[in-house]
Amino acid sequence: MSSVPQAAVLTQEVEPTPGGGGADKSISANRPSWRNLNFGPRMWVALTIIILIVLLAEVGPFVYPYASTLKVGSLYDEPSAAHLLGTDNFGHDIIAVLMNSTRNSLLNGLLAGTLAVFLGVLIGILAGYVGGWIEELLMGITNIVVAIPSIVVLILISMSLQHTNIGFLKGIGGLAFVIGITSWPWTARAVRAQASSVATREHIDIAKLSGARTPSILIRDVLPYLASYVVMAWVLQLASAILAESTLSMLGLGPSGVDSLGIELHWALAFQSVSTGAWWAFLPPTIILTLISFSLLYLQSSLDEVFNPRLRRGKKKNLAAAAARRAETARKLAEQNEKVEVLS
Amino acid sequence: MSDSVFFTPSRRTLLKLGGVVAGGAALAACSSKTTGATGTGSAGTLPGIGNNGQVGKGRTGANADTLFVAGFQWGPPTTYNPFSPTAAWPASSNVMQIVYESLLRWNILTGEIMPGLAASYKVDGTSTVTLTMQDGITFNDGSPCTAKDAAFSFNIGKTASGISVASFFQAADSIEATDDKTIVIKVNQTTKNVGQVLQMLCENYVVPEKVFSALAADKVSSEIMTNPVGTGPFKVDTADQTQVVLTQTGSYWGKTYYGGVPVMKTIIHPIFKGNEDANLQFTNGGLDICQTFQSQIWKTWEAGKPTGTYLKAKPYYVPGSLPMLIMNSTKPGLDSAVVRKAIVTAIDYASISDTAMSGYSATVQASLILPTGAESKFFNQSDATANGWKYDKAAAEKLLTDAGATKGSDGIYVLNGKRLGPYKIITPTGWTDWNASCEIIASSLKAIGIEVATNFPQQAETTQAIQGGTFDMCVWYVSGVNPSSPWARFRDIMSQSLMKPVGTTTFANYGRWKNADAEALLTAAAQAADDTAKKAAYDKLDALYRKEIPAAPIMYRPDEFYEYSAVNFYNWADEKNTYAPPMFRGAGNTWMYKIKKIAG
Repeated sequence: MSSVPQAAVLTQEVEPTPGGGGADKSISANRPSWRNLNFGPRMWVALTIIILIVLLAEVGPFVYPYASTLKVGSLYDEPSAAHLLGTDNFGHDIIAVLMNSTRNSLLNGLLAGTLAVFLGVLIGILAGYVGGWIEELLMGITNIVVAIPSIVVLILISMSLQHTNIGFLKGIGGLAFVIGITSWPWTARAVRAQASSVATREHIDIAKLSGARTPSILIRDVLPYLASYVVMAWVLQLASAILAESTLSMLGLGPSGVDSLGIELHWALAFQSVSTGAWWAFLPPTIILTLISFSLLYLQSSLDEVFNPRLRRGKKKNLAAAAARRAETARKLAEQNEKVEVLS
Repeated sequence: MSDSVFFTPSRRTLLKLGGVVAGGAALAACSSKTTGATGTGSAGTLPGIGNNGQVGKGRTGANADTLFVAGFQWGPPTTYNPFSPTAAWPASSNVMQIVYESLLRWNILTGEIMPGLAASYKVDGTSTVTLTMQDGITFNDGSPCTAKDAAFSFNIGKTASGISVASFFQAADSIEATDDKTIVIKVNQTTKNVGQVLQMLCENYVVPEKVFSALAADKVSSEIMTNPVGTGPFKVDTADQTQVVLTQTGSYWGKTYYGGVPVMKTIIHPIFKGNEDANLQFTNGGLDICQTFQSQIWKTWEAGKPTGTYLKAKPYYVPGSLPMLIMNSTKPGLDSAVVRKAIVTAIDYASISDTAMSGYSATVQASLILPTGAESKFFNQSDATANGWKYDKAAAEKLLTDAGATKGSDGIYVLNGKRLGPYKIITPTGWTDWNASCEIIASSLKAIGIEVATNFPQQAETTQAIQGGTFDMCVWYVSGVNPSSPWARFRDIMSQSLMKPVGTTTFANYGRWKNADAEALLTAAAQAADDTAKKAAYDKLDALYRKEIPAAPIMYRPDEFYEYSAVNFYNWADEKNTYAPPMFRGAGNTWMYKIKKIAG
């Protein structure tokens, strides 16, 4: 449940180019550059779902009349006009709890995903660019961490977190921190591979000759070439972190006193909602979780198409128009060349 | 990917259709009320049937003469030695008297101590208890059971190592058979606690001397027994990891006393993995009687099943135990009686009862005495109302501010320089209703400015923290309703003599609450000779408790969950058919002799 297939990214690696889809840049200079990104329908579907979920989580609680901590009914009250999805085992309105849970789960994903990508990129880029014993050491550590099943580490750390009184490690932030520091290795390995390829390019030599220091080269001359990959890794880490949080919370290892999609599922299981037929307790969080991870994976796959011209596809007429534009540009170029030849 | 795939509408339509159908089916499966295979019908005037007036048509074949029971045995049975700590049902301690029986039987509804193997008992002040045995008692191997066997069953605690019956001699000095039918017990004159003696007589089985005297002292608890020799109407037939099967002995001594032998020839206890499996089987008519926590049990009879509980309206079960919120008096903040009173005033007890306990509890009173059933005669309602507490957020905050507490910028009160939190409230993971109660307590306390987080470790870890006194707050059990309660409960919460320092295991006063008067009041209550004297002593104890509040009951829980299904038998005991209390242990065995088959 908690791991997203890493192969989805690893097998579709592209030859690193700054900004990814730069190949089309010269083709239609007269059009806004984003039009050349050629977002497919997948992208729009994914973005629409994500935006709806974010609205539900961020705006919903401000307009919905019930707070998620308010007892409005009894144990598993059936859906009614006042409470469209009924109440949970604490008698709280399911929609209010769902909105709060989604918000916390997204926040957890954002924190954990960003931390994991930050660590993965930092370690990967250093190992890939610097090379030598640093690469050996960092990749050695990475391989060791990869070899340990992350769910076991997650469970052990979250159990010990329940005893802590350190402020930032309590609540959803603490769980995000744990997920972040345990899920960076595959990002580090993939980034290292890309960084070591970029490190051999000519522009790096030029940067070195110009007297640029290593940190500056890493940020200005290496990272931009990996940007498209890092964005896709970040989206995957986000989805993976949200699922990891749900797994831990469903096992009862979630933080105390907060709502999250996994914690909702935990109580739904504990109070036998499945056998008593209280579908409103377990279906909504399951559907939201599915939608979140589906839309993020869909977004990742459509981003892949945007960044990698070889995977690009779209409506026939768009593809034909793009082909026509390329043919037109080629024809103009050929004409120019002919003129130059004639003049010479 | 080729364009043709991208534009093929048929496959997409198919997928859409599939999705709609699957989703619809899932929703339908979740929302539909399960309809069972057992045919049911309205029963007219039959007593002791489903709460909805429904009754089954009865089983056919061998199962028609079989009682299916569950909720006592959760793992493969290993031994039927009643002195083994891991004895399997029904040889495990203080369960239904099917194979082994006790001298006396306790009735949770009336507080009455009823005859068992002993036909009568006589208490002489606080010095001796004399019992007279019933006539013609035999073990299931045909040998007679005499007063000597009964005395031996307790005296074995003096010689054998590590068996629980040894604690009998904390309350009694000796137990002797003066002849084949008479047993005389000398009560310990230091504690003079007759209630505790009677409790042990109700909870310990009588075993055959010839079997157990043949065992070496160190083997008494570890001897594996597959064919237990008891005085009960049933014996163990077969047992494996899936079920325990008991059959009638055919020569039960008590058929005159109980008015006949049980109608079922066989009793089968299927071994389930957990509550959920047992509950599903119960709902579907596969069990006749069950002892498990079922969330929203009324849904079973609302769905037309012939299921029933003792009480026909909420709380459905008769209260028998008081899970407690225990506060550790050695922790800063919690050492103040004012803070403890603010805490117990801030808790939303109605929410706990309504949601966490599935409505199976009345709202609790400010007392260590149960206001209903056997203990009601000792309950002082006027004092509990005048000097007790009830859920009132504003009053709770006022208690804190009156004591000089100020709210910090984080919304948490500080009293005398001590911040009220962060505290942790613990209870074992998986104890669902208690876990949910802890969540409600934590959010209730957060609402008035006391920071509490929940924590649900494994049971062993929780037990260790509670007995060792290293917790902040916990939800834990104390003595339920029994012949020595409510004294035993006051001892569990307030005992000074059993209290040990933090870090040392103790079995009473887990909160390490110190008080100079408590021990004398406890002794007075234990030695009170009659109910009037007891009531006076309990009034004083309860008044001290209400002033100091080292712990507070958060719900009234049934001692045992008594829930039956009239699929094959009727005449179950319930509030309209009151011949037996809603129990399995003690006097709860009475229904076994009275239920009748629906078909024939």
